[in-house]
Parts: sequence; C-alpha cells; structure tokens
Amino acid sequence: MTTTIANRGLPAAEDIVGPTPGQQMRRRIFGHYGLLFGGTILGIMFLMAILAPLIAPHDPYLQELLGRMQQPVWMSGSWDHILGTDHLGRDFLTRLMYGAQISLLIGFAAALISGVIGTALGVAAGYFGGRVDMVVTFLITVRLSMPVVLVALAVVALIGGSLTVVISVLGLLLWDRFAVVMRSATMQIRQMDYVAAAKAVGCSTPRILLTEILPNIVNSLIVVVTLEMAHAILLEAALSFLGMGVQPPMPSWGLMVSEGKEQIYFEAWMITIPGIALFLLVLAINLVGDGIRDVTAPEHRN
Amino acid sequence: MLVYTLKRLFLAFLVALTVSAITFSLTYLASDPATAMAGETASDADIEYIRTLYGFDRPITVQYLEWAGRAIQGDFGESFYFKLPVSTLLFERLPVSMILGVCAISFAIILSIPLGVLAAIRPNSFLDRMALGISVVGQAMPSFWLALLLILIFGVNLNLLPITGSETWKHFILPTIVLGYYATPAIMRLTRTGMLEVLGSDYIRTARAKGLSLPVILFKHALRNAVIPVVSLAAVQFGFMLGGSIVIESIFALHGAGYLAWESIGRNDLPVVQAVVLVFSLFYIVLTFLSDLLNAWLDPRIRVG
Amino acid sequence: MKRFVAASALSLVALASATPAALAGKADDTLNIVWERELENVDSYFNTAREGIIVSRMTWDALLYRDPATMEYKPLIAKSYKWVDDTTLEFELNEGLTFHNGEELDADDVVFTYNWVADPANGVKTQRNVSWIKGAKKLGKYKVQVMLKAAFPAALEFVSGAVSIYPKDYYEKVGPDGMALKPVGSGPYKVTELEPGRKIVWEKFDGYMQGSPKGTPTIGKIVQRTIPERNTQIAELLSGRADWMWRVPADQADRLSSSGRVQIVNEQTFRIGYITMDASGTTGDTPLKDVRVRQAISHAIDREGIVKALVRGKSAVVDSACFPSQVGCTTEVQKYAYDPAKAKALLAEAGYPDGFSIDFYAYRNRDYAEAMAGFLGQVGIKTNFNFLKYAALRDKIRAKEVPMAFMTWGSYSINDVSAITSNFFTHGKDDLALDAEVKEYLVKGDTTVDLAVRKEAYGKALNLISEKAYWLPLWSYNTNYAFSNDVNFTPTSDEIPRFFTASWK
Repeated sequence: MTTTIANRGLPAAEDIVGPTPGQQMRRRIFGHYGLLFGGTILGIMFLMAILAPLIAPHDPYLQELLGRMQQPVWMSGSWDHILGTDHLGRDFLTRLMYGAQISLLIGFAAALISGVIGTALGVAAGYFGGRVDMVVTFLITVRLSMPVVLVALAVVALIGGSLTVVISVLGLLLWDRFAVVMRSATMQIRQMDYVAAAKAVGCSTPRILLTEILPNIVNSLIVVVTLEMAHAILLEAALSFLGMGVQPPMPSWGLMVSEGKEQIYFEAWMITIPGIALFLLVLAINLVGDGIRDVTAPEHRN
Repeated sequence: MLVYTLKRLFLAFLVALTVSAITFSLTYLASDPATAMAGETASDADIEYIRTLYGFDRPITVQYLEWAGRAIQGDFGESFYFKLPVSTLLFERLPVSMILGVCAISFAIILSIPLGVLAAIRPNSFLDRMALGISVVGQAMPSFWLALLLILIFGVNLNLLPITGSETWKHFILPTIVLGYYATPAIMRLTRTGMLEVLGSDYIRTARAKGLSLPVILFKHALRNAVIPVVSLAAVQFGFMLGGSIVIESIFALHGAGYLAWESIGRNDLPVVQAVVLVFSLFYIVLTFLSDLLNAWLDPRIRVG
Repeated sequence: MKRFVAASALSLVALASATPAALAGKADDTLNIVWERELENVDSYFNTAREGIIVSRMTWDALLYRDPATMEYKPLIAKSYKWVDDTTLEFELNEGLTFHNGEELDADDVVFTYNWVADPANGVKTQRNVSWIKGAKKLGKYKVQVMLKAAFPAALEFVSGAVSIYPKDYYEKVGPDGMALKPVGSGPYKVTELEPGRKIVWEKFDGYMQGSPKGTPTIGKIVQRTIPERNTQIAELLSGRADWMWRVPADQADRLSSSGRVQIVNEQTFRIGYITMDASGTTGDTPLKDVRVRQAISHAIDREGIVKALVRGKSAVVDSACFPSQVGCTTEVQKYAYDPAKAKALLAEAGYPDGFSIDFYAYRNRDYAEAMAGFLGQVGIKTNFNFLKYAALRDKIRAKEVPMAFMTWGSYSINDVSAITSNFFTHGKDDLALDAEVKEYLVKGDTTVDLAVRKEAYGKALNLISEKAYWLPLWSYNTNYAFSNDVNFTPTSDEIPRFFTASWK
C-alpha cells in the first residue's frame, strides 16, 4: 500500500485507517488495464453514436451511384470520404457512426428486455424457492434447450425483419443467463441476517425485494448485462449476415459486414472495417464486464 | 440413484414436450402450411383442398398432438419441398453436423484444457495473459468473419485446404477451427478457475509436501478433479454448437442439418424446420441429462439434495 | 506450451500440404460446375427451379428443340411436325433412339408421357407447362398425334422445351419417386450418381442420337455441386476446384475478369425487374390507390442510374410490363423519366406534400432495392424495407399483405407476352391492379392465333398498365457466367446453360 504523508509530522487519517472503500475502488479501477481499455473504447463508441448527427461528415442515406466503392484515404481514396464509400456510394465513416447507434441500441434494448424477464424470474425463484423455483428452473431448462440462432432465424424469416422484431426476438431469447445468475445470487442473499431482520420487522415482500435483495445483486446483474449485450450484438450481426437481421438502408454494423462480404476477395476493407468495429465493440463490452466483476468482487479475483 | 435418474428422466421428457409445443405453434401461427405445401403454381381451390386433406383446418392443439404422437415414433411427416420423409432427410444430413460438432468440441478441448492448466500453474504470467487474450478475442470475434478470413487465407491465397463440402476429413479442418474456437474461451476459463481452486486445496499441498513431482500432482490429482465441471460444460457447449453451426455450414457448404433447417426456413418447409429444432433440442436435453447423471454419480450430495 | 503451439502449427501445415492438388478439370476430363440452389427433385416435372431446366435439358430430350441462336424449332426426337388443325399436332418420330437404360424410344413412350403429364392427378408441379394438353394417341410405331384443349399459339414452346419424353416401361415401374433418385432419359448426358440437393454426376451418353440439334457431347464427365455461399463459389473457382459458376454479381465479375484467372461472359436474360403497387387497395387503404402517387414513384427512381452503376452488363431499362423481344411486347408506352421535382409535384397534388411511409418488400438484389429505397427517400417517401425469402414473400403477396414490392419475373424463358403480362394482370392471385379492361385485352391476346390481332390486344393492355402505373417496369437482367480458361462455353439469352455444347480448349 502506498503511504503518502500529506502533513509532515502528523500522520494522515488514511495512514491510520487505510484507504476508504471508495478510494480502494478507484485504485482497483485504475489498476485494471482491461477495464480502462474497454471503458475507453466503449466511451468513444458511445460518443460516436450520440454525436453522429453533429459530427458525421455526410448524410448516412445519401447515395451517389457514380461514386461507389471509393477506397479509404490510405488506399486510393480522398479526404472527402475518409473511410471510402459503400456499394451505393454512401459515406462509410458516416454509416459507421450511425451504425454505432443501431448496434448499441440493439445491445441495450435486447439486454434490457431479457434482463427484466430473467431478473424477475431469477429473483422470484431464488427468493421464494419451492414450487416457484421448480417452475422457473423448468422454464430455464426449456429455454436452454432451444437452439437460439435457429429459432431466431425462423421467427424473423416468418414474420419479417425490422429493428423492433430483431430486438424483441433477441430480448425474448436471451434471458436465461440472467435467470440463472440472479437465482443463485438471490439464494445467497436470502440467507443473510439483514433479510431475516427485515422480515422480522414486518417489511412487505416487495419492499424486501426492492430494498434488501436487489441492491445486493446489482453487481452480478451488471456483469450479466454486459455479457448479454455482447451476445445480442453478435447474434444480430449473424442474423444480418444471413440476411435476416435489421433491414437496409439502416446502417447496422452486422449489415455492413454482410454487404461487404460480397467484396471480400477484392475490396477486403469493406468487410474489415465494420468487422473490426464490431470486434472492438464486443471486446470492449466484455472487458468492461470482466473488469466490473473483478473490481466489485475482489475476493473472487485469482 | 434410481429415484434421481427417474426424476431427471421425467423432467427431460417434460422439457422436450414443451419445446416441441413451442416450435410447433410458432411455425404454424406465423405462416400458412397449406399455402406453403401447395407450392408456386397452386390455385386457391388447390390450397383449400390441401388444407382439408391434411387437416390443417383443425384446431392447432389437435394437430400438435397428432404430430407429437408420430414424432415419438420417429415419423416427422413429409418435407413440403423435397416430398421425402423428413426422417430420411435428417438421417442423411445429421451425420455431417454431428461430425462437425464432435470435431469442434474436441478441438476446443484440446486447445483450451492445456492452456487453462498452464494458465493456472503460473497465474498472471505471460502464458496466463496469452490464454486470457485468446479467450477474450474468441468471445468477441464474429464467427462468420473469422470463417471468411480463414477461407481467404488458407483456401484462396495459400490454396492449402479445401473450403467446401464434406468429402474427406480435410474438408472439416477450417469449419472445425471456426466453430471450435467459439467454445474455447468458456472451457479455458473454467479449467483455469477449477485448477486454481484445486491447486490451492489442502490435499494438493499435502501431495507437494510429500515430494511428489509436479506432473504427477497435476495429472493424477488436480486435473481429475478440476475437469469434472468442464465435462458438463463441454456437453452443454456441444449442444449449443449443433444449433449454432448454421452460419458455418452455409459458408463452408457443409450439407448438415443446420444448413438444411436454414434453407427450409426460406422455403417455408415447416415439417423440416420443426424436426430439426426438435432434434437439436433433444440432443441438448440428452446431453445435459447424461452430464447430470455423471455429476450425481461423482458427487453423492447432488443425488440426495 | 511453446512446444505445444509449435507442434500443433507443424501438424496443421503437414495436414495442409497433404491435400492433393486441385481436382483439375481438364486433366481428368471432368467439368466441375457449382450453383447455389438445392434442387428439390431432378425429375423435371417436379421442380420449379431454373436449375431443374438445366438438368432436364442435359438428361432428357423433347420432341423438338428450339435453337437458341435462330429461335427456330428443329427436329429432335420428332423428325418432323405439322399442325393438322388449330388443336391437333402430328409428329413423325426418329427411329433407332434409345434411353440411357437401353429401352427403345418409340411412339409408346411419347404417348405415355403426354397422357401422364396431362393428367392433373399426377401432380406435375408447373401445371402451365402441361395444362394445354388434352391427350396423345399413337398412329404408328413412329407416329404420334397430340391434341390440345383449345387453340394455343404458344404450344410449340412447350413441345420443344418443358415436355421431356420419359421411358414408359421404366417410369411405370419406378414412378416419380424412383425417377427422382435414378433418372433415366434419352438426353446427351446420363446421370450416374445422385445425392438429392447436393450433387449430380453425369457421364457422356455414348448412345446419343447422331445429328441432334443439341450437338454431340464432348466432355466426358460433368459434376455438379451445390454451394450456397457465392463467395465460397468464387473461392472454389479461383482455386481451380470448380470450373464453372454463374450469376456472378457485376462488381466481382469485373474483378474476376481483369484478374485473367477465369473467363467472364455476360449475356442478357428474359428476366425483368418491376415494382408492383397495390392500385386496387386490396392490401388496405394506402396512398398507392391514387394514380398520381404511383406515377410519382415512377418518376422518383433513377432506373437509368441504377442500371449504369449496379446492374450493368447487357441490361437496359424497360418501360413496358414485358421483355422487349417477347412476341406481343411493345415498347411504345408512356415512359417515366427520372424527375424528382415532378415526383414531388405529383405527390403534393395527390395530397402528400411531405411524403408518406409505406412497406416495401423485396426478395433478391438487396442492393438494387436499397438504392430504390434511397431514391424514394429523396422525394419524401419513407420505406419500411423488408427482405424475405422468395417463397415467403410470394405467400405474403398472395395473402394481400404487401402494398409494394420489388419483384422479378423470368417468363419461364418463354418468348411470348402471355408468359408474363397475362400471368399477372388477369385477376390471378398476384394481381393487385384488378383492372377489368386490362384483363379483357390480355385474354383476347392469349386465345387468338392471328398474330396481328394478338399484338393489338396486348399493346392496348400494356399501354393501360403503363398509363395507370400499376407496375413500374425496371430493367432487364443479365447473367455473368464465370468459367475456367480451359473451357469453351457459350451462354444463351434464355438463361439455360447448355453444357452439352461446352468443350475443352
């Protein structure tokens, strides 16, 4: 532990009682390179998504058929289109920025829907146990037995793809991990003295769930949220790759990879740029998730 | 043990029943089987005729029960598109998916268990970080992207490996790498955590104190215990792989069951879609059932609790 | 660990180098062809795919053959034909022909085939190919008469195409199921191996008839494999493991061509693209009911620009609802030039100065569809785009759930307007215009033998369709064929690759 002598002569409070939990947390965060790296990338992508209408150099939907597939500036392109143009002559950088909106939106919204479903089921199972637990465990097993990609494909193909459909389908399919983790987390918390105390005082069940249980499982919840966000983004990309994801002209990264795949042998950058963006986004989300787990639960670090 | 087995068996059966009911209703509610079956050139009268002939006008519950009853006997009906029994098609295509799945899971295990063990022996070493790197990259890499990159490098630029079809074992190399890599991170992480826990336990310390050599400790004592959860994870991952191989099968032109299902979705060939979803689910259910039994056999506490 | 990595890397390289050199085509006299489609059934009466037509032309012969270059009908199984009257055709057969299994081909086989396919109970999948046949009768061992249900000017199209002659004894014995697994015909190539949907192997039929207008096959063996991913097909072609593929998108075709590693030939096809719009309001109350809105849409899309930038090849903009070379097709119709200002004015006039939002569907050429959606967006029409598989979209259209869709039609490679305009505007399930006048003209054209009368009737119908903008005809399609430098191959505008005319260089 670093000992900083703030006031020569008198020992600082810190030296006596050690760093406060907040300080410890900050140190762990800044000592965790994965978290820093992931957080930075994620932050940049967020800014890119939010500020896209302000900073994007062009209109993401404006096509210029005579200026198709111009290469990025470092290959043979011009500064007007830094990352080149796509197969309809739309600015690649602009579409990448707006695409960040879509990919992040899909990640968040799908994780939100599945989070609400999974947490509700998991907490109920963990808290009430008994029959409730049996039913929820059964539901989880059923869900795990269904091949996600196949079912998602079938549903999207049969009812037609759109942003709403893709988000809903993914949200309804990805709640299993939430339920599993929340269930066991709640089971642990339920045994705690303070829950028993709250019961003894006569707190209502909803109140115990909201004020005693939820705050204590929120850390594991955040970790699962990151995992499922990443999962949803990758799944959407795979659906788009098969032509069953978000529909054009919407600029999703999965769709951009899919559109670029036609050119893989000749204009490899068209699949590489959105591919890298997708890879970095998922990587960043995973790193942040791992980081949060390490930082908030140091006793589980190896 | 017998009671436990029967209980689990009953549960597995209930799960299979629920899954089949969900798939059946999903596909039948979302599209009209009579139109799909009648084909491109059918008139309205033809469609109505088929509707009554095959009983598509009856309540969906009745249709489901009939379908499920036949499915139990291995009869999944006839493909609208190929006009062949679905079971014939499955019998033809499943082996390819199975081979791919087995290869991929073996690849994942062969790659990730040694890496996980090595990472656990020297936590925070260069090796550990490399293993971590591999797993983090594996989790974030879109599999279709990896597949296309491998085709570009090994199939076209170097012209070393065949990239389509399933004629020889060489055809399975690239798809195996892509599909297997996807399962690597989870298995590696679990091995590492398991090993760390075991290595920190008292009996390993005792073994070390007794002066046993490192390989003996690792392989005879530690790995055996650490590997138990890995086995059940691998079983689960294998189930996921079967379902997730659609993209890989379509890129590498492997005519497996996943690809069959994907094409059938596009052709509104509902009996095939339902059958493949059900069969994949059944595989998963059977695998988890077996791994549960294995765990219960290894750990008596589970049977009782 | 390092050793482990090194060892696995080494073994990987060892595996890789053990792969035999490409299954070179010319060296072992095997033409390796790849396509995308899983053919449901090789029996030509039980599939609806274009690949099925390719298989059928290779494996079976019909009574006549239409020369793709001169468009003339030439004798094949039949030595000669004549119209006895408007509804009776008479054929004199060639003698000494045999099927692949040695069965002799004579009048019995022809009569059997015609009667068998004409019976709706046998369930031939494309009924329009055979629904004109009333029956056939034997006049002698080598003489046959075919009766039509009604006067049908386009009958010879089918006699020379879709109606392949099947071996009577064999077909009676094995039925359609047996034919699907072990096909037997009298065509230039015989099927020697078959994995349904995945692989077909043909060998040259040594007993093939002398002097056939299809020519004498020269390549010994043809192997077809189904590869769903276009990129994988290209990779196979570039690495020499495939010798022939088709439907290469324009961009890749240019690059492949300039790489010099393969040959690229472009040929136009009968297929045209069009946008169908719900003018009758059967799908709901949409702005498309107003003719001015449909005209605005027609003016808003730069078809010329899309053809130049995306479609390319031998394609051209089409203005009427048919392929220009088809009998009865006229290009003298109202034309809609690209004029976004006019489109906006028409929209304002119709009461949509700020545009509107509409569901827009497509099943192929996502990029073309995307470009069109982009153009519509520029005049204020917001499209909710939906990309479905063909079968799913067709069902949706027939269920009246699609107000506007980008579709294409290949007219079954039939050089007659009845195969396209009449197919869509005679109040069938795909008809969203439901215009009684149009239907009347088309029916008149379909049932008249006199060419001048037909042309006039079709002309009136096509003019109405254009004036009312029921369809926006887009462009004709073209196909890029890519094949090995070792192969001589000539594509045809009916989009039926004829491998029996291919040869090694």
